[in-house]
Amino acid sequence: MRFLLSIERSLRRGLAGLVLLMVVISVKTSAQTTTDGLMMGKGLFCTGFMYTNDKWTDYWEGRLKRDNENIGSLTTQSLSWYGVYGITGKLNVIAMVPYVKKEASQGTLHSMQGIQDLSVAVKYNFLRLKSEKLLFRAFGVLNFSTPLSDYTPDFFPLSLGTHTTNLTPRLNAMLQMNQGWFVNGSAGYTFRSNTKLDRATYNDGLNFYNSNEVDMPNMFDLFVSAGYQKEALQVELNYVQQNTLGGGDIRRQDMPFVSNKMNAQRLGLLAMYYLPKPKNLAIRGSVHYTVNGRNVGQSTTYLAGILYTFKFSKAE
Amino acid sequence: MKKNLYIYTLVTALFCIVTTSCDKSIEVTEQLTPLTPADIDADAGTWKMVFMSGAEQVAVPAPTAVESDAYKAELAAVKDAQSKLTKSQRNAIEYWSGGGVLRWNQFFRDLVSRYNLPPAPKADGTYPAPDAENPFGDPAFPFANPPYAARAYGYVSASMYDALKAAWHYKYLYNRAAPYTNDSGVEALVPETALPAYPSEDAVMSGVSAEMLKFLFPAALEDITLKAAEQRNAALWSGKATSSDISAGLALGKSVAALFIARGRTDGMGTAGGNKALWDGLAKNAEVRGDEPWRSLETPPRPPMLPLFAKVTPWIMTTENIVAIRPPAPPVRGSSEMDGEVEEVKWYSDNLTRERLAIVHKWADGAGTYSPPGHWNDIAAEYVRDANFSEVRSARLFALLNMAEQNAAIACWDAKFFYFNARPSQLDASIKTGTGVPNFPAYVSGHSTFSAAAAGMLSYFFPEGESYFKEQAEEAAMSRLYGAIHFRKDCMVGLDVGYDVADFMINNFAKIDGAD
Repeated sequence: MRFLLSIERSLRRGLAGLVLLMVVISVKTSAQTTTDGLMMGKGLFCTGFMYTNDKWTDYWEGRLKRDNENIGSLTTQSLSWYGVYGITGKLNVIAMVPYVKKEASQGTLHSMQGIQDLSVAVKYNFLRLKSEKLLFRAFGVLNFSTPLSDYTPDFFPLSLGTHTTNLTPRLNAMLQMNQGWFVNGSAGYTFRSNTKLDRATYNDGLNFYNSNEVDMPNMFDLFVSAGYQKEALQVELNYVQQNTLGGGDIRRQDMPFVSNKMNAQRLGLLAMYYLPKPKNLAIRGSVHYTVNGRNVGQSTTYLAGILYTFKFSKAE
Repeated sequence: MKKNLYIYTLVTALFCIVTTSCDKSIEVTEQLTPLTPADIDADAGTWKMVFMSGAEQVAVPAPTAVESDAYKAELAAVKDAQSKLTKSQRNAIEYWSGGGVLRWNQFFRDLVSRYNLPPAPKADGTYPAPDAENPFGDPAFPFANPPYAARAYGYVSASMYDALKAAWHYKYLYNRAAPYTNDSGVEALVPETALPAYPSEDAVMSGVSAEMLKFLFPAALEDITLKAAEQRNAALWSGKATSSDISAGLALGKSVAALFIARGRTDGMGTAGGNKALWDGLAKNAEVRGDEPWRSLETPPRPPMLPLFAKVTPWIMTTENIVAIRPPAPPVRGSSEMDGEVEEVKWYSDNLTRERLAIVHKWADGAGTYSPPGHWNDIAAEYVRDANFSEVRSARLFALLNMAEQNAAIACWDAKFFYFNARPSQLDASIKTGTGVPNFPAYVSGHSTFSAAAAGMLSYFFPEGESYFKEQAEEAAMSRLYGAIHFRKDCMVGLDVGYDVADFMINNFAKIDGAD
C-alpha cells in the first residue's frame, strides 16, 4: 500500500503532475476484458452479451505486408457473455466468456469454433481526487484468464487462441471534467503460461525445439482514450497498442505460429448509451482498425453489445 | 483498511504464483547421456559398403608411431588444452559425448525444419524456383519438402555410414590407441573405450556430415561449419584424439563425402521438377485412364512438387525394383468405389473432433517441420539412444532407415505421378481440411509410405518395438484421412508400398551386410 500512497502524494502536488502521470501509467483494458475508468456502484450487476466481427485480408508476415489467396479473408466472430458486479463502489469484479468462430473465405482449411477463455478481473479504485471542476481516479486491475475448452493453439490463423493461462496486472487512470469530457489511459503487463502442441517438435522461427511445449513470451499493452461521458452517454476515440515481448516472426510463406511476435496498433471509436426505455438497458458499439502490425492481420473489428443492469442491494 | 488488506494479500498471492512458476524455458537439444557402447564393433571395417567400392577406396596414410616426438608433442598439446578448459568447452565435450551420430541426426532435422518452406508466389501468379546458386534468396534454397528431405537424410546417413566403416577399417589396421590410453597424463573426459583413435571417428563424422550438408543446405554454411569444428575440438579436449587422429579423420570424411556428392549431382534430382509440357502430359495420362487429372488446390495454382522424383536413383534398389512394387491403379472419379471414398472423407471433414485433430497435427509434419522422414528419425533416435550402440552401428541404423525413406519417397512419387489423381477437396470442394493439402496427387499417401517403410526398418532393428512402430505407422496413415486430405485407399495402399520397401532393404542389405 505504501507504493500507492506515494503515488497519491505525488499526485496531490498539482494538476500538471496528474496529467503527466496519466499519460504514462493510466489505462483501460481491451474492450473484451476489463474496461474503463468507470465503476459499478455497490450491489449493481451489469450483464449482457457482446458480438464482435473481426476481419482481415492483408496481414503482416513479419514486417512484410501481404495477402494470401489460400486464406482469402479471415473472419473471427465471437459472442461473449459479460458481467460486472459492484462489490463496493470501489471494488468491482468483471467476468467474460466468449464463444469464438474463425473461418477463412478461400482455400481448404477447416473452420474452428468453440468456447475460448474465461477471464475474471478484479478492479479496485485506489485513488480519487476531486476539485471543483475535475475528477481524477486511478485503478489497479488484476485480470486472470484461462482456457475453458481444449481448442488447439497450433492451427493459426484459425486457432481460437493461444491456450495459455494469463495474469495481467494493470494500472488505469482517468481524468474527467464536470462537463463530461475525459481522458483515460491504461497499461498492462501480461504473464503467459507456456502452451502445449499436439506434436513432439516445432520450429518457432528462431529455433528448432524437441518439445511439445512452447515458451510464450509475455506481453505489454497500452490503451489511451479521450471522449465524453455523462449520464447515459459515453463516446470515445481510443488507441490500443499490443507488444509481444519476444517470439519469432512468421517465416517466409509459413503459417503463423502461436508464439510469434504479434504486435499491433489499433485506432478505435466506441459509444455506449443507456436507453431511456426500458430503464437500465444499454447498448454498446465500437469499431477498431489496425493501423500497423507485425505477424497479425490488418483487421477491422466491429462490436455490438446489449447490457442490462440489475440492482442487488438497496445500498447505493 | 480491512478490505485493502484483503486485496493486498490477493495480489501478493497471485504474484507469487506467477513469479515462482516462471521458469518457462524449453530445452532446445535432446538430453543424451555419455555414450558407453555395449560393443565397439571391432569388425565394422568388414561390413558391406553402401556405395563405396571398399574400405580402402579412400587411402589413409599410416600414422606416426606413438614413440615419435611428433606424437609426443601432440599429446602435450592435448594436456595443455585440458589444463585450461573453459565452461563452454566442457559443455561442448558433454554435448558430443552423447554420440556424434545422434547429434548430427538431430541437427539434420533442425536444418530440414528451417528449409522446409515453399516459395511464395510472385505478383504475376507464378512461383520462383529455389536456386542452388542463390541459396540465400527469396525463395531460399532448398525447399526441403518431403522428397527433398528424404533424399537429404538418405545421403547424409549413407555417407556417414560408409565413412565410419572405412574409419573402423583403418583404426584396426593401424591400431593407434587413444591419447588417454597412451599417456596417463591425458584425462579421459568421456567414457573410455578400447577403440583405436586413428583416424578419429568424430573427425570423420564432422568431415563427411559438413560436406554433405553444405551440398544439401548451402545457406546454412556457418552453422554447419561451426558444428563440425566443435565436434573435432571436443574430441581433442576430451582426450579421445590428437591433432593427427583428427586431421586424418577429417580428410577421410571429406573424401567420402566427395564420392557421395558426385553421385548426388547426377542422381536425377536436378531435373525432378519437370516442365510445363511434362505436367500437361501427366494430366493427359490420367484422362486416358478415364480419371480426372490432379490439379493444384492452391491459389495461384502451384506446379506439382517434383513430378520426376521417381527417376531419382534409389539406394540398394533399382528403378526397376521401384516400378515392380507400384500398386494397381486407384478407382477413377465417378466410379461407385470412388464415390464411396469421397463420401467417407466428407464425413471425416464434417466430423473433425478434437481427438482426431490432435492426431492430424501430431503427424502433419508439413511446411516448416522436419517432414515425415524427420519424424521417424526422431522416433528412431530414442531407441538408438537407449540401445548403447557404437557410433558405427548407430550410423548403420540411420543409414538403412533413411535409405529406405528415400526409396519410399521414390516409390510413392512413382505412384503419385504415374496415376496423377485428384485430392478429396478437388472432387468435392465442400471437403475442408484439418491441415494443409499437399501440392501433389493423392495416390498413394506419402505419410503412409514413409511411416510403413520406417516402421518396417525399425522393427527389424528393435523387434521388441514392432507393435509400437506399426501402430504408430497406422496412426500416421489414418491421420491423413482424419484430416480429410487423403482417401482411405491412399493410406492403406501407401502402407503396403512402404512395407514392401522395408522388406526389400532388410532382405537385400540389412540381413547380408555382415553386421548382424
